[in-house]
Amino acid sequence: MPTSEEVEILVIESVRLLAEDFDLNTLKQPSAESALYGNDGVLDSMALVNLIADVEEAVSEQFGAAIALADEKAMSARNSPFLNVKTLAQAVLERIDL
Amino acid sequence: MKQIVITGTRKGIGRSLAEYYLEQGWGVVGCSRGEASIEHANYKHYSVDVSDEPAVIEMARDVKRQVGAVDALLNNAGIASMNHCLLTPGSTVNAILQTNVVGTFLFCREFAKLMRKSAQPRIVNFTTVAHPLNLEGEAIYAASKAAVESLTRIMARELAEMRITVNAVGPTPVLTDLIKGVSSEKMDALLARQAIPRYGKAEDVINAVDFFLRPESDFITGQVLYLGGVT
Repeated sequence: MPTSEEVEILVIESVRLLAEDFDLNTLKQPSAESALYGNDGVLDSMALVNLIADVEEAVSEQFGAAIALADEKAMSARNSPFLNVKTLAQAVLERIDL
Repeated sequence: MKQIVITGTRKGIGRSLAEYYLEQGWGVVGCSRGEASIEHANYKHYSVDVSDEPAVIEMARDVKRQVGAVDALLNNAGIASMNHCLLTPGSTVNAILQTNVVGTFLFCREFAKLMRKSAQPRIVNFTTVAHPLNLEGEAIYAASKAAVESLTRIMARELAEMRITVNAVGPTPVLTDLIKGVSSEKMDALLARQAIPRYGKAEDVINAVDFFLRPESDFITGQVLYLGGVT
């Protein structure tokens, strides 16, 4: 079971790689507070889909856990898990923990 | 080596498709509820129920680890049940929708994620002439494939940005387990409604799938191709 810090590092690295692929200047040096999707986030829906797939793959590779981030819990959550790096890392951790 | 994922490879058209793409030099990842029926150095089999979401996710993660990117997905796995609607149990309805609709959806969702690094990513779904022919006795099967056609058209638009083409092939009856137990009179009447009234062959299906997989077919998406001259 990874720690919340380890998961956060994984998400930050995934965001950094995505920012390079999609040429998103504001996310090239991401932090836990970086906004992702909705509100102040700079990701469009296609970039978000790619980020979700990247994070799911990285979780599988690094932690050996097969998770799906776009589940019913994410769809019905009052606050989207895709708001920023911290909320996404928390969503990852909750799904590994199941 | 290009990698293709094919569901329902233990028998019937799925097995023929798997054997064909192995001959063509592809790496083939197959699955069925049972054990593998194909032994080949470039064939990898998963025993999985296509409608079991955690199992499909686990399979996709393992495919990613073992073979990396995927170039094509053929959603061939399907079940049918010939029966009058008044004699069809709810459990049969659920089973058909689960395998044909939910299974197709889950494989599209999970394997599209593995196609992002492919040069020519392709998804081919499987429908049936039973839908356009409105065949009596196939209400649920035809309805499930109508749903697959709708998925195909909408996913074609949603996945276009990822360069993935999504099309469907609709075979006529092929002599496989799917239609065993259907009387010959019924089958003859069905064949008579096709422009070319003969049973389909696995080669007919392979030809249509091959067309969608060709690199030159990258401007063809959201299409449903029925065989036998059914429109």
